[in-house]
Amino acid sequence: MIIRGPRLTKGFLLLETLIGLTVFSAISIALLMGFVSLERNYAATGDFATNHSDAVRISDYLALDLRRALSVSSATNSTTITIPSYYDNQGNPQDPQLDGEGGVYYGSQGSSLTIHYYLLNGTIYRQVGGAPAVGIAQNVSDFLFTLTDLGKVVTTKITFSPIFSSAGASQNAIAGTAIYNTTLLRNSRTDISSSVY
Amino acid sequence: MHLNRHFEDRGSVVLWTVLVITILSLFATEIMRAVAGRFQVGLQTAAWQEALVGAESGIDLAVVELRKSINPQPNNAWSGWTNTPGNGVISHGLTTIPNAGLAGTPMTVEVDVDAPANLIDPSNNWQYYRIRTLGTMPLTGPPRVGFSKEDNALRKLTLLAQRYIDDLFTSETNTPHAARRLEAVVAPLSSFNQAIFSVGSLDLSNQNIVIDGYDSRDPTKSTNGLYDVTKRQNDGNIATDGNLIDAGNAHIYGDVSTNAGTVTGIANITGVQRTDFYQDPIPIGAPNWLSISATPSLVSGTATINANSVLGTSASRYRLSSVSLSGNSTLTIAGNADGSPSYVEIYVTGDISVSGNAQIILGDGVQAKIYFQGNVDISGKGMLNPSNQPADLLLYGIRPIGGASQHVNLSGNGQITAAVYAPDYDVTVSGGGSSGHVFGSVVGKSVTMTGVTNLHYDAALGSAGIINNYEIVSWVEDTR
Repeated sequence: MIIRGPRLTKGFLLLETLIGLTVFSAISIALLMGFVSLERNYAATGDFATNHSDAVRISDYLALDLRRALSVSSATNSTTITIPSYYDNQGNPQDPQLDGEGGVYYGSQGSSLTIHYYLLNGTIYRQVGGAPAVGIAQNVSDFLFTLTDLGKVVTTKITFSPIFSSAGASQNAIAGTAIYNTTLLRNSRTDISSSVY
Repeated sequence: MHLNRHFEDRGSVVLWTVLVITILSLFATEIMRAVAGRFQVGLQTAAWQEALVGAESGIDLAVVELRKSINPQPNNAWSGWTNTPGNGVISHGLTTIPNAGLAGTPMTVEVDVDAPANLIDPSNNWQYYRIRTLGTMPLTGPPRVGFSKEDNALRKLTLLAQRYIDDLFTSETNTPHAARRLEAVVAPLSSFNQAIFSVGSLDLSNQNIVIDGYDSRDPTKSTNGLYDVTKRQNDGNIATDGNLIDAGNAHIYGDVSTNAGTVTGIANITGVQRTDFYQDPIPIGAPNWLSISATPSLVSGTATINANSVLGTSASRYRLSSVSLSGNSTLTIAGNADGSPSYVEIYVTGDISVSGNAQIILGDGVQAKIYFQGNVDISGKGMLNPSNQPADLLLYGIRPIGGASQHVNLSGNGQITAAVYAPDYDVTVSGGGSSGHVFGSVVGKSVTMTGVTNLHYDAALGSAGIINNYEIVSWVEDTR
């Protein structure tokens, strides 16, 4: 004997089908919107992480050069730093020499190497001397890097625009991305005179 | 009887469960991929930064040894290092710092110090030292390169094989690590690198004293090697290891530094006020000369001591039990008849006292160093330094035995032109003659200026005296 359940013997009314379709559509739309939001959020989070990583790298580059800086000149998204000419033309370290005034130089007296950071066409470049500029961060047109020159200490600040909101990032949101780095300049500066340092 | 309905439902549940788990697993995998890579980069970045801290610690370790070396013997400088650094001789030091959190792999700090001949200051033969360091920090996690080639170009890491091999350091291996290389040059600092340095209190409140600077070596900063108010320099710096300076509204053409302290009476300070100053003064030990001039061994009346044309010979060295001058008696330190340079070093194991109309007189061309182990009270006609060069008369206070409280009182009605280094003595300068001018530099446990209207610091003293410290004058990172 085969006993068939009642459901197998029944069909759906048109009303039931419509209600079912409506509920299914609503749930599908909600799920779709949720997935889209999740995808956007994932993309924004990924972008934030990438931008943060870029900002840390720029900060580390600036700190690397500021530590050994002899002079610093800065404007928004443009910074020029000079460092000792430690390497010769073959890239080998040179011996230090006394300058007769209590200081030390490498290479020829008074020489230095200029490093220029600048933002151009969405890329932040670092150019060492006359060598070709090297991009150190790509797709960063929304970046702002600024230096606060306090003499012996230089503070760098880097911000970017996160994309969590379709209306664009608020000023507070941008400010929230700021990465600060305070660097003590190890060498005496040649562009300012101070008896302290 | 067949109950098909139950079997169909159960199969759907399993299918849906597997599907949901698969989708969630894909999500989790993607998130883990994204997060783990960045986490790894974060770890590598932190290790790269820590390696720099290690390399800079190496510079500190070398400076500590250099500072030890200028202390009185036995100072145990360079103990545990391979050599005493010299020209062509590298002193090598290796320090490992345990890191329990990094699989027990220690941070490594490797230091090489040498003293190249081209780093000797020809003006005073002081040696600058080159310090080269390597800081190595192990990397945890799998040896993977980061997402970004820009990161890899900045933070050059050893992952599977040693990335860079030089001829200098030996502690790097093929294990994953971050390494930073630094080179610093340190310069010796004179005990007289400031107008006034006090270990404790510094009191200038008695007068509206003027403290400024000049440089007797530079005609643009002096006239005929002498102070010229029209060429006044802003290096009349004063400092204390303590936390209080009473500047008494002194006119200070220079910087004022305390150790996290306060300065009162600051209305007329032209320079910078710092609160981050500390300098451990090197104590003066008793001279251990192998040979000296036998006479005199005591000065208690008019006497003459002869300087010698050669510095450091027994003929230029004297040990006196005390110097006591009163009435009209004088102690003349005689130089060459033609006034050519001559030298004398006098070690007074007891007190120095000058009173009445008595006077200590330096002959022409004499450059004198006087070491004293007792109290110094100089009044009367004081000390006559006819060249008016403070570097020609240097007074050193030897650390008192048992830490006894001792003092240096300089007064008298003659102009004082001298430099005093007595970090274990309470120093009072109340002379300067009718003009109240003092030329030189003063270092004391405490320093009080009374009756002095002007203190003029000669920057030439920065190349004279004893070496009291080392400072970094050049710092570069080797980024190869």
